[in-house]
Amino acid sequence: MTPMPVDVSNYVGLSAVIFFIGVAGVLARRNPLIVLMSIELMFNAANLALVAFARLWQNNAGHIFAFLVITVAAAEAAIGLAIVVAVFRRSKNVDVDEVAGLRG
Amino acid sequence: MPSFVSAGWAVAHHTNNPDPLLLAIWLLPLAGALVLWAFGPQLRRGAGPLATAVVAACFVLTLLDAHVAFGSPLYANGVGLGNGVPLGSWTGGFTFGLFWDPLALLWTLIITGVGGLIHLYSIGYMAGDRASARFFAYLNFFVFAMLTLVLSDNFVGLLIGWGLVGLASYFLIGFWFFKPTAVAAARKAFVINVVGDVGLMLAIFVMFAYTGSVTYLEVFGRAPTLPHGVVLLICVGLFVACAAKSAQLPLHTWLPDAMEGPTPVSALIHAATMVTAGVYLIARCAPLWDSSPEARALVGTIGALTALTGALLGIAQWDIKRILAYSTMSQIGYMIMGVGVGAYQAGILHFFTHAFFKALLFLGAGLVIHELHDEQDVRKMGGLWKRTPVAFAAIAIGTLSIIGFPGFAGFFSKDAVIYGTLDRGHPALYAIAVLTAGITAYYMFRLLFVTFFGTYRGDVPDADLGVPARPQSEAHADHHAAPRWLMEAPVILLMIPSVIAGYVAIGGAGSTWWKFFTYDFSTRIDLGSGPAISETVSTLVVLAVVAVGVGVAYLRYGTAGARSGAVERLRLEGARIPQPFARAFYFDDLIDALIVRPARALGLAFARFVDPHVLDAAVTDVARFAGLLGRELRGIQTGLVRAYAFVIVGCAVVFIAYFAFAGFAR
Repeated sequence: MTPMPVDVSNYVGLSAVIFFIGVAGVLARRNPLIVLMSIELMFNAANLALVAFARLWQNNAGHIFAFLVITVAAAEAAIGLAIVVAVFRRSKNVDVDEVAGLRG
Repeated sequence: MPSFVSAGWAVAHHTNNPDPLLLAIWLLPLAGALVLWAFGPQLRRGAGPLATAVVAACFVLTLLDAHVAFGSPLYANGVGLGNGVPLGSWTGGFTFGLFWDPLALLWTLIITGVGGLIHLYSIGYMAGDRASARFFAYLNFFVFAMLTLVLSDNFVGLLIGWGLVGLASYFLIGFWFFKPTAVAAARKAFVINVVGDVGLMLAIFVMFAYTGSVTYLEVFGRAPTLPHGVVLLICVGLFVACAAKSAQLPLHTWLPDAMEGPTPVSALIHAATMVTAGVYLIARCAPLWDSSPEARALVGTIGALTALTGALLGIAQWDIKRILAYSTMSQIGYMIMGVGVGAYQAGILHFFTHAFFKALLFLGAGLVIHELHDEQDVRKMGGLWKRTPVAFAAIAIGTLSIIGFPGFAGFFSKDAVIYGTLDRGHPALYAIAVLTAGITAYYMFRLLFVTFFGTYRGDVPDADLGVPARPQSEAHADHHAAPRWLMEAPVILLMIPSVIAGYVAIGGAGSTWWKFFTYDFSTRIDLGSGPAISETVSTLVVLAVVAVGVGVAYLRYGTAGARSGAVERLRLEGARIPQPFARAFYFDDLIDALIVRPARALGLAFARFVDPHVLDAAVTDVARFAGLLGRELRGIQTGLVRAYAFVIVGCAVVFIAYFAFAGFAR
């Protein structure tokens, strides 16, 4: 028996849910590690949407773009974590609201 | 050029074989100046000999090449260097070349010959100066600039040379830049010379507008066909340039101040060559002056008044170099008067002899100044004939020459000029010229008696003589760094032409001298009934007036009684100099009141109102607005990452909402 095709709207709906969980995490949490994780959630929500639409339109560009996003996400995680470590070494705190050195 | 052929001028202009010797004469001093500028510190004591060798080489080359120019008609021998060089909007292009005719040859001989001797003298004079390489670089540069001026076959080249000699003069007057007076004098000379440059430029604009050319030959060829007023306008513009460069009234005030420069500079630039550029220009542009009797009258009158004013002011000076400066001004007045009234050969002859005897006078004065450690006040001298016999001989010969003592160079040239004014129908100018000759004799013998006779007054306290205290100068600490003969040799060499230079003109209009300038300068405008007296009678009259001048000078300064009581007499005379003389006939005050003060007031008005309230205000207001914007907007930069994220998300929501709803509605 062939698997029942899943309607694309389900994927998009799941993607939206995951994305807003990520947004909420970035806006609400003050621990930088959680903020980074939330950002990863948003990346992956976007990836899910990309792949789903690629499947729908039978166009491989979406797949390729998803790989690109994965690469960027990896780079972002590396830089983000490096910044977090550097800030932690300087000020011994793990609260993004305390790091406001760029206030005008 | 058909117009010249029709005018009967033999024109073989712009041959296509550039004369290599002439090019070498022209460019060697430039090369010398560049080498001296670049390697001056490395050359050290070699700088002076190198510069002298360059100018001496130019002199030898000039002699070697002289046969080309000698005997050829004026304007006939041109050397093309660039044809059709674009000149601004003039698409036809402009032809640049050099003239190598008798007039150019004569000036080149003086510039390189007298210039070479003065270079040689400078080796000794500047030996103690650490910056002597710079000095010689300027001197070579001056020679190049002056050669550009006299060799150019067009007005643009002339203007370039005209400006460059002014620049060289500025450099050299201000050579001792640690003396504030020297810097002020250099600035004054430069500014007044620029007035002349502007006059020259305006004349060039006018002639270009009316003739479409700036080369001498084409302009001269069309001069007779131009409207009368236009020729007069060109002549006036050119004469403004002459007046500034050659120290004619009322632009002469820079020349006495220019004596702040080293004495060899005064001899070369401010006596023998640069200041006679005006004489050269008028002689070169003779066809223009021949077409405009008004211009002739103007130039002759200004020349005569300058001669008289210079001589009168020469009476009341105490600084030996200022006496000679006013005498230079007066003698150039003679030359300008000569060429102005149309006695071109006489005016040029006076330039020729004056270059020798005035350089001799200055170099002699330099020997005295050197011997007395920079003392220039004649009241502090006296009795020097034994101490500096060469200087005494130099100034004595120079004096006899300048007053026109029979047999000396000045006798021939000055008489020719004086008689020339009468010959050309200007009795009033003749009277002024004769009077000036007498005054010249007086002030030159005054200089001679006060400086070299009587007893030495250098040890007399300044107050007893009425001499203002002199600030100690560190110009050349080491006064006797060079052997004395090095300075005396050129002086002795200059004595020879100062005596014999006039012999070229023996025979008057039949002499080689007159034939030397074969362009027919003799286009007489109006002679009326001819001169009232013959040349011989005129000479006797002049000699009588000169004898009176010498006699008065002897009675006042030369008699045994005058010599013994010299200290008291000189103090009284210094205190009694009439105000107009002490203030040089108020020319400086006049220029100050008419030009300097209004200009300064205008500048101050701009500095006080326009600058702060208009120009600066515009700039500061822009800056102030940017600052205000920054202060007001800095509040939104909280530095909180989550706040930024919130704004981003909020904006994204608005964006999406817009496209989701408003977008579809369209």
